[in-house]
Amino acid sequence: MAPKPGSFSTSIPYEEKKLKIVGTEPADRPDAVDKVTGRARYAADYNLPGQLIGKVLRSPHAHARVLSIDTAAAEAVPGVKAVVTRDDFPDMAVEHAASGELMINFKDVTRNMMAREKVFYDGHPVAAVAAVSESAAKKALKLIKVEYEVLPHVIDVEAAMQSDAPILHEDQFTKGVDPTPEKPSNIATRIESKLGDIEAGFDQADLVIEREFRTKPVHQGYIEPQASIANYTDGGQVEVWTSTQGHFVFRAQIAKLLQLDMSKITVTAAELGGGFGGKNNVYLEPLAVVLSRKSRRPVKMVMTRDEVFRATGPTSGTHTKVKIGVTKDGRITAGQAELNYQSGAFAGSSVPMAAITVFTRYDIENVLVVGHDVTCNRPKVAAYRAPGAPMIAFGVESVLDELAEGVGMDPVSFRLKNAAREGTQTHYGPKLGPIGFVETLESAQAHPHMQEKLGPNQGRGVATGFWFTLGKETSATLNVGEDGTVNVIMGTVDVTGGGRSALAMVVAEELGIPTEKVRVKSGDTTALGFNFMTAGSRGTAAGSMATVKASRDAIQKACEVAARIWEVETEEVVWEDGHARPASTNVGDFEPLSLADLARRAGALGGTIAGHAELDVAMGGPGFGTHIVDVEVDRQTGAVKVLRYTLVQDAGKAVYPKFIEGQFQGGAVQGIGMALNEEYIYSEKGTLENPGFLDYRVPVASDVPFINTEIVEVPNPMHPYGIRGIGEVPIIPPIAALSNAIYHATGVRLRDHPLSPPKVLAALDEAAPAIAAE
Amino acid sequence: MTSVRFVFGGKVVALDGIDPNMTVLSWLRTKVNKIGTKEGCAEGDCGACTVVLGELTQESGRERIRYRAVNACILFVAALDGKQLIVVEDLRQADGALHPVQQAMVDLHGSQCGFCTPGFVMSLFAMYRSEGQPDRARVNDVIAGNLCRCTGYRPIVDAAMAAYDGGRADQFSRRERQTVELLKSIARTETETLALEGAGRRYFAPVTEDALADLVKAHPEATLVAGGTDVGIWVTKHHQDLETVIHVGGVRDMDFVREVDGSMEIGAATTYTDAVHAIAGQYPDFGELIRRIGSVQIRNAGTIGGNVANGSPIGDSMPGLIALGATLVLRLGKQKRVLPLDQFYPGYRQTALKPGEYLSAIRVPLSQPGRHFHTYKISKRFDQDISAVCGAYCLDIAGGQVTRARVAYGGMAATPARAPQCEGALTGLAWTEDAVPVAMRALAQDFAPMDDMRATARYRLAVAQNLLQRLYLDIEGGAPTVLAPEASGQGMGA
Ligand SMILES: Cc1cc2nc3c(=O)[nH]c(=O)nc-3n(C[C@H](O)[C@H](O)[C@H](O)COP(=O)(O)OP(=O)(O)OC[C@H]3O[C@@H](n4cnc5c(N)ncnc54)[C@H](O)[C@@H]3O)c2cc1C
Ligand code: FES
Ligand code: FES
Repeated sequence: MAPKPGSFSTSIPYEEKKLKIVGTEPADRPDAVDKVTGRARYAADYNLPGQLIGKVLRSPHAHARVLSIDTAAAEAVPGVKAVVTRDDFPDMAVEHAASGELMINFKDVTRNMMAREKVFYDGHPVAAVAAVSESAAKKALKLIKVEYEVLPHVIDVEAAMQSDAPILHEDQFTKGVDPTPEKPSNIATRIESKLGDIEAGFDQADLVIEREFRTKPVHQGYIEPQASIANYTDGGQVEVWTSTQGHFVFRAQIAKLLQLDMSKITVTAAELGGGFGGKNNVYLEPLAVVLSRKSRRPVKMVMTRDEVFRATGPTSGTHTKVKIGVTKDGRITAGQAELNYQSGAFAGSSVPMAAITVFTRYDIENVLVVGHDVTCNRPKVAAYRAPGAPMIAFGVESVLDELAEGVGMDPVSFRLKNAAREGTQTHYGPKLGPIGFVETLESAQAHPHMQEKLGPNQGRGVATGFWFTLGKETSATLNVGEDGTVNVIMGTVDVTGGGRSALAMVVAEELGIPTEKVRVKSGDTTALGFNFMTAGSRGTAAGSMATVKASRDAIQKACEVAARIWEVETEEVVWEDGHARPASTNVGDFEPLSLADLARRAGALGGTIAGHAELDVAMGGPGFGTHIVDVEVDRQTGAVKVLRYTLVQDAGKAVYPKFIEGQFQGGAVQGIGMALNEEYIYSEKGTLENPGFLDYRVPVASDVPFINTEIVEVPNPMHPYGIRGIGEVPIIPPIAALSNAIYHATGVRLRDHPLSPPKVLAALDEAAPAIAAE
Repeated sequence: MTSVRFVFGGKVVALDGIDPNMTVLSWLRTKVNKIGTKEGCAEGDCGACTVVLGELTQESGRERIRYRAVNACILFVAALDGKQLIVVEDLRQADGALHPVQQAMVDLHGSQCGFCTPGFVMSLFAMYRSEGQPDRARVNDVIAGNLCRCTGYRPIVDAAMAAYDGGRADQFSRRERQTVELLKSIARTETETLALEGAGRRYFAPVTEDALADLVKAHPEATLVAGGTDVGIWVTKHHQDLETVIHVGGVRDMDFVREVDGSMEIGAATTYTDAVHAIAGQYPDFGELIRRIGSVQIRNAGTIGGNVANGSPIGDSMPGLIALGATLVLRLGKQKRVLPLDQFYPGYRQTALKPGEYLSAIRVPLSQPGRHFHTYKISKRFDQDISAVCGAYCLDIAGGQVTRARVAYGGMAATPARAPQCEGALTGLAWTEDAVPVAMRALAQDFAPMDDMRATARYRLAVAQNLLQRLYLDIEGGAPTVLAPEASGQGMGA
């Protein structure tokens, strides 16, 4: 859903000031040291005395009714301490909640975690076992007898939308059409957003181009497989250590799914080995808790890579149509798009978010966007960096490239001519505030990359992207030690490494002390007020809002202590450069007191200096980026080599520039992998054929050039330091940019993702039939 | 000998009764609580589990230690016997300072989420200990077996190069003499076959080929393991239970590359890493192809012998070996026989090995004037990927005419196979551009490839044919033939 700040949400307005720390390199990155020495602890690295190993039995079928489950033989295996199935979990009614950038429905969440009436995809859990060893657990899994009635399945989005397609949910009637249909459908929802008069817009155009595009699902591909360890104590307390992007949301979901009081559950987010949106959903956690309750032992569960691919993530596979009209002089008059997005086994894809991003980089008066959320026999989709946006950007930016050529403009000038600016009306509602899109285009145009010469079979492509910055509930606590050093407990998860350092820098800037004196860690769910998922690029953006508030709280308290020492009013004390000082000479002639001085004496003068924040952060401040890529196409094999890549993006304010570059580069490389090679491949039977890194090919070092990055800074007016979310935009443009580059290298346009060698070669062959056809 | 002995943390560790199917990764993580080494896939694909093995070698008459990165997830603990195991927790210097490789990773932001980091650190550490300042292409090669999903690799490559700034001494070089002594103290003599029993399974690791021959003959049902890069996956991924294992990898007199009667003979226990140099010396293109098999970690463990014996239709060394007319030395007890490789595969994943027989060595004819050899691997990614198609061509060209042609492909049929129609069409043809379409058309008669998830039949055939165009250009241009991804876009912009 589009982030709409509520009337009670907080924003601290941007204030221009001289910065000492924000915008530099921190003196150290403590998390990185623990990572290079192997000391950082990820979820799978936790062990508890007496722990059991939990394993999941998964459906081998794409779609089947579960007639019966017989666990007797499994329970009899020596060393097996608990077996659970659907009977061990309460059924849930329809109830929607936000989980990251996607919406969830508890009725579905419980069914996804453990199948009830039916299994909906290859890899869907049907039972789980806890045993003293992995081998005993595996042995038990083999002995569980599940009787299935195999049903016809549907994998592909277009096929799933047909009226005669096998239906996943008999009780799903398309929402958003009037009147509500009487026949169930795999189309869960139809959404529409409109601006102006689309027909009139196309009438004004001199050139209209309409194209269809298809993309395959891709996986987040984090290197750390999901892992959880749960301990249900005899006293009824539940402790969970897990790989998550949002332990507070996980606690809420565990509580709901297992009907437990939240106060009895403590979830600790372990160091996270990558998530990119894929660790926004519970999978193992409720199973581990119930296995632990049943066995009265701690239970550890770690997914195999095969399970990660078959049962977590991926993104939607999509089918989209894009139609855009322009005048002879290059002004876009109308844009229309249809987005058909797979949600997997249960409704709730990224289509609502994607629909908002379709044309929101351009100033277009007449827009019509229609989206469909479509269920099919694949794992329920999860968010993946700017969920849904890369697929539709592929369509829109490809058509824009054709139009630019059609009206004889270069791709950047064409985009500049139509670029959204402050005040541009979006097609989904609000007018845009101050944004840096034009600046990214201008920097791209002036970049030396544009002057690099291209050889035969080489081409250059350009594309752009847009994404929001999410605010939402964010809490933080800051405690000043008696020596003046500072601990900050944050409630978001440092999903990128470096997030802790960025927050430490903001706190150090506020307090006027060196960054090394500030230590930031993630607190468990008992330590703080609620925190929403670390998603929507909000980690540093929203996290720093809470830490700024907490810092200012602490400063207030420090000033109070100084006032007591000097026996003046608190209002007569100001905080400058890490010291309390008299507000004016009238107050008196006092030596400034440092935070350390004050902290030492605070105990007897009102108590520890501390600050805290429990905010519903109002955000906004969307980010925009422009990418340029050069490729070379091998006409004999269809292989595409990426020669050069440049990315320009508005960060609002780069707190920790190296860390932002890292996000830019990492996101772009994920986008390149998505564009060129990554895809889910299904067999006729509806089973996943490539559930491993051997055949699901993510880029290695030699696949990618060095990514050049350029940071543009147009401050976000709703943030005290002007910060925008930056993590997601970089993944949006690559598919489109690469496809455009391939066109300029070969004259062939690809509209079918991935742009893999077989597809490129086939397209080249079609354009110039090869000898094989003779 | 009934215990596995290796050097770990500066001491000799001796393990008795260890399950021969246990991997080094699971031993580290579950038996000795060394959790720094990560599991990302358990299939040799991601490199998160990378550890480094130190082995005794002779270097200009001196005893030295050679350091190599391997995947702990598919390496059996028993294979550590006689070696030094180094894991990420071992790298910190005695004074607590980070190892130069670790420090560079911190300083240059080579770690974001950090889950891949221990693996990268170990790959870079092995490089740091083994060779001088690398360039970017070399670093790409060294880390081709390590996946990072966060950084986009640039900061890691920067760190790899910057690690050398302060010279190359570390506590491993300083302690080398002591470690050499420890390793010597656990080296087995020729008669000491390691014989393990644990968890109801048996494991034999002979030191000499004669001992091996006897063992294989006595246990025809046993699974032979050379580097274990195929076999390891059977256990970790396919959950096979290997009752009896005989380790070929440690047989010292099968680890060689030597010249015999106009042929290069490669022992079946020789790793890719050890064989590549000699092979590249004869056939540069073959050397390049081997540099693209798996990753450094895979090539440090895997053998050409294992590749040939495994008999996968997409094994990358076989098309080249077949095109070159390689023969195999097979041994059963004391009996040896020699079989041309193109007669070794009766069917899909079948070999001509008899019960109790094994592959002893591979013989490859030496290069000769007028003979042109090229081989190409086509896969989605340049590095560390499975072939969709692998083609190999050995043409004798005299007076502008093809006098002899051997053409072989992998990925086009149930076994690696020759292309007789194509060979026939080429033989006697004038070697001009016009020969190419003739050969391409003939090739279409040779194979009816399959559709699978790695490529369609149509793509396979089209590429197999197009490779003949590349062959022509390469022979005419005399150019190196591998499309190495060069360092482009470097130093530009930001
Ligand atoms: C991540 C990864 C990437 C890979 N990439 C490639 C690639 O790019 N190209 C490629 O071709 N392969 C690849 N492989 C497969 C594998 O690495 C190779 O086939 C390798 O050559 C096998 O050698 P090994 O010594 O490890 O064999 P092992 O696993 O030890 O043995 C393989 C087979 O050969 C048998 N065997 C071994 N030695 C003998 C002997 N002396 N006599 C009789 N039988 C014997 C074994 O019993 C087994 O059946 C890859 C594997 C992994 C895990
Ligand atoms: S765990 Fe992935 S290579 Fe070993
Ligand atoms: S830093 Fe996260 S995978 Fe490399």
